[in-house]
Amino acid sequence: MTQIELEQFRRQVGSWLASNVPNAWRPALTNAEQGDFVELQKAWFTKLVEAGYATPHWPEGWPGGGRSLAEQKVIFEEVARADAPRLILYFVALYHAACTLFECGSEEQRQKYLPGILKGEIWCQGFSEPNAGSDLASLKTRAVRKGDKYIINGQKTWSTMAQYADHCLLLARTDSSGPPQAGLTYLLLDMKSPGVSVRPISQITGDDEFAEIFFDDVEVDVADRVGDEGAGWAVAQATLASERGLTLVELTQRMRYGLNILVGTLKSNGRLSDPVALADLGCLIPKVDAACALADQYLQKRINGTEQVGDASIVKLYYAQVLREFVALGVRVGGLDGQGDSGFMRGATQETGDWTLDYMNSYNWSIAGGSNEVQRNIIAERMLGMPREPKSWQLGE
Amino acid sequence: MSVELNELRDSVRQVVSGIGQYGAKQSLWDQGIELGWLMVSIPESLDGLDMGVAASSVVNIELGRGLCAAPLSSALLSIEALCDSNLSDKADHLMQALSGELLSLPFANSSIRLNDASLNGYAIALPGAGQATQALLWTEDQQLLFLASLDQPGLKCVERSTRDVTRTLFDVDLQNLSLKEQTIVAEGEQAQQLVSALLARRDISLAADSIGAASELLEMTIEHLNTRVQFRRPLAMFQALKHRCADLKVQIVASEAMLFDALARPFSETRAMAAKYLCCTSFAKVAEESLQLHGGIGMADEHDCHLFLKRALLNMHLGRGEAVYAQAVARGFLQEQ
Repeated sequence: MTQIELEQFRRQVGSWLASNVPNAWRPALTNAEQGDFVELQKAWFTKLVEAGYATPHWPEGWPGGGRSLAEQKVIFEEVARADAPRLILYFVALYHAACTLFECGSEEQRQKYLPGILKGEIWCQGFSEPNAGSDLASLKTRAVRKGDKYIINGQKTWSTMAQYADHCLLLARTDSSGPPQAGLTYLLLDMKSPGVSVRPISQITGDDEFAEIFFDDVEVDVADRVGDEGAGWAVAQATLASERGLTLVELTQRMRYGLNILVGTLKSNGRLSDPVALADLGCLIPKVDAACALADQYLQKRINGTEQVGDASIVKLYYAQVLREFVALGVRVGGLDGQGDSGFMRGATQETGDWTLDYMNSYNWSIAGGSNEVQRNIIAERMLGMPREPKSWQLGE
Repeated sequence: MSVELNELRDSVRQVVSGIGQYGAKQSLWDQGIELGWLMVSIPESLDGLDMGVAASSVVNIELGRGLCAAPLSSALLSIEALCDSNLSDKADHLMQALSGELLSLPFANSSIRLNDASLNGYAIALPGAGQATQALLWTEDQQLLFLASLDQPGLKCVERSTRDVTRTLFDVDLQNLSLKEQTIVAEGEQAQQLVSALLARRDISLAADSIGAASELLEMTIEHLNTRVQFRRPLAMFQALKHRCADLKVQIVASEAMLFDALARPFSETRAMAAKYLCCTSFAKVAEESLQLHGGIGMADEHDCHLFLKRALLNMHLGRGEAVYAQAVARGFLQEQ
């Protein structure tokens, strides 16, 4: 697509969004019941699927599919500009599940699961465990082969939206004899199977975006294994890489638009002529601009095929740091009244203007998807060429 | 970055690193002139290379890497301002500048007033003005941009003391300078436009210098941590130190991204100030941490670490002055809303 065609596409997406983004969705989701949230997400998802804007990253031949990375970027940018709801209920299905299936799944698996995703089936991710967070490879949930089934026992946690999910992308251990990464297997699990129980985790924000999942002798067909037995780690890497860059383009842009909300808070609290508050704002703005530029240039690298190891970590770490500064300034200028508890907002972004809530939500980006500390390790070891940590703390072993 | 700019970067870097000495002066000046670095942003119509302001930034980044002591960045700025002007004999002026005759301009605030056809006031921090023949100056109200010969009665040019030995700065004092003895580059609204563009480019130039120097310094620091062994392992194996280096890397890459983003967009004084503020702050942070990470050797004069620190501290204060930026960026942002 030429630059002109890309700009035409941008206008097309922009005008579609202008007339289709749900009205006043934030107030509707403030202290909302779960049902209201699901309904709003479902309606918005359906509209996006029909317009072809939910699946631009799917291959040609699928509805909405076959769009270039440059076009996908336009969609994410316009979604941010329109301040549309984030599709958090469907994100794992649209990106993680679909991309895993496209990249590593069989044709049968694609035919079995992808049409369901387009119809609104919800997926969750069963990766993290209570004792396997940053050190994901140490996970212990067992999958034992019995005939043409795997029998699953164990527990997953921090699974976003698991309480609503129809399916789970499960990473389980089939072998514990070798190195931790080697014994993992990737399975597609039906959340309605006997033996699955879900317990939502109540968060500091009042919301419950995450849940724990317990597996008690849950059966999974061998046909629902993605990749070979023991190849789960490599498949999981494909899952995690699927949306690299696009989300951060959207999030950094949202933060940039969010500066206006910050200015609104400054104004309503009479701080716009306060030189200290102005200087704080002036320190923040270049960083927000830098985060946007960084995400933009990172995606450009992906489009050009010049991405290097560590690039993605830099974008994520910088965004997480600047986001924290952004919401922290909001909390500061929000004053005592900003400390009031106005409840929570389901599916909120970090720019609601309820700064204490936004501040708490900002931890999502410094912890989830590889914490800041993990990103620093990646940057130091794989980009800056600094040596790795000794393998185990029991150095004598 | 385009292929052209990448090539330019590589060729400048090769020369700068080939000299192998931080703060090199004469050799870099001579080579810069010879290799046409000052021509990169001159438009084709004036026989330049027409690569845009991004190209001068690429040159400045590499000069920053070498802590270049030659006043090439001020020469680049003066040349760009002359190109934008309507000066009738600007081709002659450019010719002189390109042949190595230095034209300097203030890298900090100046305060010059025009009263009854006579100019009074001062201009601060003109790089290399000791060797320059002329300075590009402007009045405080930005209604007049002019070229003043540095060798004329009523004009005093004195070297300014700086801890940073990689820049040589001069202050200029004007007493009853007759306007008609000066070359007027622009007046009125046109002068205002040229000066405001010049100040923004000066911000960008300092930002670029800072990014280059910060990148070089971080590489030097990581090299030190990789080599220095304590507690039977390289210091670079300690996570506490690795994470600090990762944070510095992130700051540098983000600041550079912002700088090039500002260059790719339509001219905005606010964005230029934002880039200056962010890049110089990042350099200062990298310099502060790098000396600490070098340990005792960083305190030794024979090590190059301090050269970076001093340049970083100086860069913070050049341009419009350290105190101005944050608030000015916020005001600019509010105005754009």
